[in-house]
Amino acid sequence: MDIKKVLNEVTKEIEQSSSQQELQNVKVAYLGKKGKITELLKSLKDLSLEEKISSGSKLNLLRIEVDNLIKNKFNDLKIEEINSKLKNEYLDISFPPPNSIASKAHPISKTFDEVITIFGSMGYSVAEGPDIETDFFNFSALNIPENHPAREMQDTFYVDDKDKEGKPYVLRTHTSPVQIRTLLNQNPPVKIIAPGRTYRCDSDSTHSPMFHQVEGLFINENANMGDLKGTLIEFCKQFFNVQNLKVRFRPSYFPFTEPSAEMDIAYEIVNNKIQLGQGDRWLEILGCGMVNPIVLENCNVDTNIYQGFAFGVGLDRITMLKYGLTDIRSFFSGNLNWIASNGFTIGDF
Amino acid sequence: MKFSYSWLCDHLETDKDANEIGEALTNLGLELESLTDYSEYSKFVVATIKDFRKHPNADRLNICKVDDGTNIYQVICGANNVKKGLKGIFAKDGMYIPGTQINLKKGKIRGEISEGMLLSERELNLSDDHEGIIELLDDFQNGTSAVEALKLNDPIFEIGITPNRGDCLGVRGIARDLSAKGVGKLKPLNFKKINQLEFASPIIWNINNDDNSCEYVVSRYFKNVNNSKSPEWLQKKLISLGLRPINALVDITNYITIDLGRPLHVFDADKIGKKLDMRLANANERILALDNKEYTLDKNTTVIADGDNALAIAGIIGGDYSGCTDDTKNVFLEVALFNPNSVAQTGRTLGINSDARYRFERGLDKNMVIEGLEYASYLINKICGGLVSKNIEAGKLDNFEHKINYKFDYFNKTIGLELDPQKQIKILKDLKFQINKSNEKECEVLVPSWRNDVKNKIDIVEEIIRIYGYENIKQSVPSVSIDDIDKIDNSSTNKKYKSIKKLKKTLISNGISEVITFSFHSIRAQEILKGDKSLKISNAISDDQSYMRNSMIFNHLESAELNFKKGYKNIQLFEIGPIYNSPQSQENILSLLISTEKNTNSIYKSEEFNFYSLTELTSILISSLNFDIKQFNISRSTSNTYHPGQSAELFMGKKLIARYGKVHPLIMEEFSKLKNCYAIELFFENLPIDSISRANSINILDSQFQYSEKDFSFLFEKEQNLYEVQRYVKGLDKNLIKNVEFFDLYVAKDLGDDSKSVTFRVTIQSKEKTLEEKDLEQLHKNILEKVTNKFKAKIRS
Repeated sequence: MDIKKVLNEVTKEIEQSSSQQELQNVKVAYLGKKGKITELLKSLKDLSLEEKISSGSKLNLLRIEVDNLIKNKFNDLKIEEINSKLKNEYLDISFPPPNSIASKAHPISKTFDEVITIFGSMGYSVAEGPDIETDFFNFSALNIPENHPAREMQDTFYVDDKDKEGKPYVLRTHTSPVQIRTLLNQNPPVKIIAPGRTYRCDSDSTHSPMFHQVEGLFINENANMGDLKGTLIEFCKQFFNVQNLKVRFRPSYFPFTEPSAEMDIAYEIVNNKIQLGQGDRWLEILGCGMVNPIVLENCNVDTNIYQGFAFGVGLDRITMLKYGLTDIRSFFSGNLNWIASNGFTIGDF
Repeated sequence: MKFSYSWLCDHLETDKDANEIGEALTNLGLELESLTDYSEYSKFVVATIKDFRKHPNADRLNICKVDDGTNIYQVICGANNVKKGLKGIFAKDGMYIPGTQINLKKGKIRGEISEGMLLSERELNLSDDHEGIIELLDDFQNGTSAVEALKLNDPIFEIGITPNRGDCLGVRGIARDLSAKGVGKLKPLNFKKINQLEFASPIIWNINNDDNSCEYVVSRYFKNVNNSKSPEWLQKKLISLGLRPINALVDITNYITIDLGRPLHVFDADKIGKKLDMRLANANERILALDNKEYTLDKNTTVIADGDNALAIAGIIGGDYSGCTDDTKNVFLEVALFNPNSVAQTGRTLGINSDARYRFERGLDKNMVIEGLEYASYLINKICGGLVSKNIEAGKLDNFEHKINYKFDYFNKTIGLELDPQKQIKILKDLKFQINKSNEKECEVLVPSWRNDVKNKIDIVEEIIRIYGYENIKQSVPSVSIDDIDKIDNSSTNKKYKSIKKLKKTLISNGISEVITFSFHSIRAQEILKGDKSLKISNAISDDQSYMRNSMIFNHLESAELNFKKGYKNIQLFEIGPIYNSPQSQENILSLLISTEKNTNSIYKSEEFNFYSLTELTSILISSLNFDIKQFNISRSTSNTYHPGQSAELFMGKKLIARYGKVHPLIMEEFSKLKNCYAIELFFENLPIDSISRANSINILDSQFQYSEKDFSFLFEKEQNLYEVQRYVKGLDKNLIKNVEFFDLYVAKDLGDDSKSVTFRVTIQSKEKTLEEKDLEQLHKNILEKVTNKFKAKIRS
């Protein structure tokens, strides 16, 4: 019996197999119950012990080798078969998908989020109040009496319906009424911000009848104007992401703060674009001041013990400055092209 | 408030230039809005129209030959005041025109060359006048600079005056503030009192001051005056601020209004009666005012009258009839202290914004009444001549006296800055506050008569820091306390914003964009959506913004339409914001709109968006807030915004959590371009805030044992609520029934009109063992029986 001959024979047959079925036939012919190699192994029983040992081990090696050859060939044939199948499954990968518009968050949402985060890191919690306010909360309690010229600083929208005092409701002209609502509800120390919608009857490229503000209020035993200055500078540095920020505080007037200030930040025009932080031009960013003791007294706060500061920032304005947007009206048009161009993807929001 | 550098120097002795003064004004709280320095206008020169002819190709244009002293230019001009010999202001090729913000270019206009331009006042930003080109009246030589010809060599300041600083509505007040800041020295007022008051005024005040609208009035009568043009110095001053000189008497009152901030009025004494009264107007009484408009007054308006005739609206504007003209021979001067409140109210009611009203309603310096009278008398007498009467007065002029007890350390505590009491006192004295008594701790401050805004000790602090300089305040950032952090952690509003952010992220990742629309509704939207009438805005600026919205859907349909017009067929947008049920009730909701078209793309074909896609999206949104849509009670929506058969409402107890469905076809009539619109309104504020703001809350049991699935088909009554069935089945064995998934619904005639066939799959799994066949069979049987009994259902094979 020539093992080599058998090996040559089976190797050839395995190589020539072109399908898994053919290969299976070869496997049966050699390793099956009646296969050639099986038969050879069976015939060992008639041999002497010595021959059994020598032929047996050779035959076993042959069986293992053939088995391996078949397994490998099976594997090759399988890959070949899948590959040939894949050839028929080719799609046109260049067929363009339908146009869709990127879904994004509104820039104002991003600003709200940043403002809440930055002031949150300084210990401010968020408070809120309604858009439709009473005369008391929007004006009187804030030391803006009727017929006072300060009322004409803001063009107020009125609502037909009247409140309990018989005065028409107003659309809040600023977020400052939240100061009053919070102080009437909560004992000092108070440290809150209140972002929200505000309204004035005015409409052009920099004024919208609806816009957004954030109010800030910090009342405790010793919050002073230096703290106010430091807090707002820190906010602007973080919000505008400018470490080297040139700012200016200048005296101003709001009936509900005394002393009052407005804060400007420096800018210059570089390549026709506004660059914030340095330069010799100024942009008004916010109004602020020490809460007028009259306002605190209106809220039953003991001014012998407590004092503090308040500020109001136009959120649309700082958003426009930060991202170089020019027309506030586009903020509220619902134009998805604008949102896709100026909004924020989920990762950036 | 506008004034020129030279006018300021009438009151302030200073070596500072205009820019330095501008900066000081801003630092004082008198914000510099603009500083106009016309030195660059010297490039524009005087030129004469030598000759002109009609443009052959344009009716309204003329071809002018213009001489600028060096050359003759051809200029095409469209002004209607073109004439031979006119002297105007000329700009050459390449020059920048400030009023139009363009660089002038030589070129052809309708075929004829134009080499320059004759300018209007508007093109030079001098006024809004664009009626014609500037016509110089004086005989300047051609080539003279515009700065000289138009007298523009005096820088003009324009500053914003905050409502508290009525004292700075006069140049003198501004100079006074600047002097306290160390910018210069205040000069004394330069006029002489008239010593010879020869006669009693033939006109007297007979005040029936029934409304306290006038505290005090003082007058003088001027006999035999000569009212003509004012002297050049006065005209120049007015012109420099863009005011038109009228006649000497009127110019003097305008001048004193601006110079001292003291409005006063002159009547032509021959046109008014002998007894003047101040009284409330009769209802519907009319007056033709100096602005040439007729006003109808009401019973709250105070007028100056001689009997029945209203001569002037007190503190606001004079009447046309009694005004002074060139022919005026005798004059009655009125200097009054009107009540700021009533002036403000009347001014607002009548919509008159006069210089007088602006000053009266901010409160005037009481000590300036007599000073104003003397100053005006001096000027009238000097310019117009004649004789001056003795004073005739009515009412009572109280002395202004306001004292404030002030502790020096109040400044330190408020500002966070140690400032020596002596320095504080120095600043107050520079501002002309008097210090009566003082020791090292406190003092008594006497407020000057012109500072009626300084009322309390905090106002004293403000005055000191204003002069000391805000730039000297030391900045510090207060530390964050544990209490602060606790409050943030517990704030329901913080939690709400956290939940809103989660919602936004879920929406954006589902391909839906965020918009922000106005809180308003148009009149049309209000009609269709039947919002509360009490939400009407009384002074709306347009019909589109007439009400406060009670829903966002209309706004979003408008947005969708806008985007459709831009070519988008599939529009998905959302807004999280307020809606208003009444003036007292506002809630923040999520509103979402999806507008889709039938898919025509044969390659990228996906199923058409329908009510069930919407339900799935609603479910995703609710899951992002840690709730399961199936735990709510569902019912059909009765809202007229939605298709009655394809909309639903979800409730938690009595609280509405969500409303969603196809937008009602009647509303879609308004938006005919849009086809298939669906909306979701999620009233997330009605969900418990602690649940929705949590990061993790859903607890799903995880078992390693084999699960089994079994499908059940039943015939139910058509309106059977399947959420109930689902909850019921799940509740039959909470330990074993892991999931109940509905996957088929069949409604057809062969079932009869009032039933539906529903198939659901129940997943059964134990967390303790692999279930045996008999356990499963028992459970299946149980489900069949219980469902049949509970819901009057029939088993369908």
